[in-house]
Order: sequence, then structure tokens, then C-alpha cells
Amino acid sequence: MTHPIDPIGEAGLRFYSKVSASISHEIKNSLAVINESAGYLEDVTRMAKKGMTVDMNRLETLAGSMLKQVQRANTIVKNMNRLAHSLDDPAVRTDLNTLIELMLHLSQRTTVTRGFKVSAAFSEPPVIIVTHPFFVENLIWLILNFAMDATGDAQSIELQPVKTTSGAKINFTGLDQLTQNAFENFQTEPVTLMVSALKSRLQADENKGMIILNLPDDISQPAQ
Amino acid sequence: MTDKVLIVDDEQDFLNIISDRLTARDMNVTTAASAKDALNQIDKESYDAVVLDLMMPEMDGLETLKIMKEKNPDLQVILLTGHATVEKGIEAMKLGAMDLLEKPADLSTIVERIKHAKAEKIILVEKKSEERIRDILTRKGW
Repeated sequence: MTHPIDPIGEAGLRFYSKVSASISHEIKNSLAVINESAGYLEDVTRMAKKGMTVDMNRLETLAGSMLKQVQRANTIVKNMNRLAHSLDDPAVRTDLNTLIELMLHLSQRTTVTRGFKVSAAFSEPPVIIVTHPFFVENLIWLILNFAMDATGDAQSIELQPVKTTSGAKINFTGLDQLTQNAFENFQTEPVTLMVSALKSRLQADENKGMIILNLPDDISQPAQ
Repeated sequence: MTDKVLIVDDEQDFLNIISDRLTARDMNVTTAASAKDALNQIDKESYDAVVLDLMMPEMDGLETLKIMKEKNPDLQVILLTGHATVEKGIEAMKLGAMDLLEKPADLSTIVERIKHAKAEKIILVEKKSEERIRDILTRKGW
């Protein structure tokens, strides 16, 4: 007997595992620097015991580098923790600036490795809605992955949260080669289910090279 | 004779420290912070071994390895990664990588693999010289 696969659940796990793999890679990079730094200290200690002069400036630089890596790893773990907790509550007051900033961090390795620059034009004052943060994060991840195939030579994508009368929207701009056909193909079952679960609407503007994710002001309220 | 090694990684701090440590072990170390920079280096210089990060921005390690091997099939490349999967490892070996080490790697292991790479390179060079001599002898009919 085979069990039916829940498309949203599968997409969520896929997203979570991709982010986990990317994060573990980042942490290993930090650990590699710390590991080499510790090894360097061992080398220096051995040399000092033999009466050789120790370069104090080099040691100071090394300490700075280790601290930098510890802070970097701590930020990575904090972001992972925030992503993990975004599944705690299906309807929570969410600052879209903060959520987008988190997604920029979490997707950085993937986008940079592919030669893309992803930035955000944050809103002032912040746009706050009641939503399911994990679904929004997952949808942003999927849109970014799709958008990387739809940008032109600039290879640059910008995310912008905007307050609307019915809630908020997130604009994804820089998709110069976006076509309606490609956009339709992007809207697979998990994407449409996620859009529906968020009571949101996904639109594409070919002429402006833009995808718009429209989100309601409060997901816990009946859809208008 | 010192071992001549090229270390390729987008982590500048990692490059600085490992370069210092390998230099202290009598190695002649050159560093490159990008695949493009590394490919320029191997055009200019000959190395006993290249230690190459698998995940780099713009051009990843496997793509870089492929180009390096096209430029110089005898080049001994050791892949270093924080992201090792069995599939990537197999792909790397198929593309001609000598070894694949996972980050954080022990320096003595890296040193040992560099020495091994150099020995492999010497065998390849000797084999090629032998073939060249045999070819000359056959053609000249001495």
C-alpha cells in the first residue's frame, strides 16, 4: 500500500533540507577557519618553545579572525533557529522586512553560487501582517529559484515589501526574461496549494519583469 | 625540493592561515580566491598539486576541475569541501580528481595528500619522458 504524498509537506521538507545543507556548508567553512587558526596557534606555541620569536601582530589578527568566524557561525545558527520557529504558529504577526532579510541570508549561498545578487528595498515603516511565516518563506525560496532562470544579463533580483489596502505585497523585480508561459509552468501543485493556504495571489507582469505576491492583512480572517 | 601547491578557496581567512601553515612546512604556496584566478594561475605556473574548494561563487569546483583537467590532464587536484555528498565525490573522481577531503580537514592529511599528489605527478612525468625517448628511438631507428 502506498501513502499519498502531501505536496505542500514535501515542498516544505525539500526547502528545509536545502537550507539545512547550505547552512551546514557555511558552518563547516567557519569551522575550517577556526580549525586552521587553532592549528596555527599550535605551530606558534611549538616554535616559541624552541625559542623562536612570536609575531604578536599575527596573533592579534588570528584572534580577530577566530572571533569573526564565531560571530558568523552564530548568525547562521540564529537564522536557522528563526526558520525552525517559523513553523510554530500558523498565524503570527510578521514583519515582512525581517522575514525578507532572513530569506536573503538563508538563500545567499545558493544565489551567490549561481552568480546572482539578491537584494531588498525594505519598507519604512515596516509592513506587518498576520500570516503563516513558513509558507511565505517557502514561497519566496521557490520564487527566487524560478526568478534566477528569468533574469537577464544583470543577474540581479530585488525584493520589496509594500503595504496595500488589503494587506501587503512582495514585489520581485529584475526578471527581464520573464514570460507568461514560464510563469504558468512555475505554478506547480505545491506552489498553487501554498498560495491558496496563504490566502494570497501570485501575479506576473511580463512588461515590468516582475512577480507580485499579494498577501492578506490577516490570514486568520476569512478570505475577502 | 619544495612542494609547489595552489590553494583555491573563496574564504580569504582560510587561505591566509592555511597558506602560512603550509609555508611553515616548506611548501611553496600560491592562493587563489576564485576559480577564474586559479585558472589564470595554472596557465602561468606548474603546480605539484591544486587544493580546490568544491563550492565557490560564480564557478563551482567541479566545473573548475573540468577546465583544469582540459588545460592540463596531468594536474593533481585535491577537492576540499564542506558539502561532500557521495554523488559529488563520484562525479569529482570521474572528472579526474585525485582525492576529496571534507572540511574541516586535518592539516597533516592535507600535507600527506599533497606529497602523494607530487609523487603521482613525478611518475606521470617520468612515464611521459620514457614514452618520448622510446618514440625517438623508434623513429630514428638507433
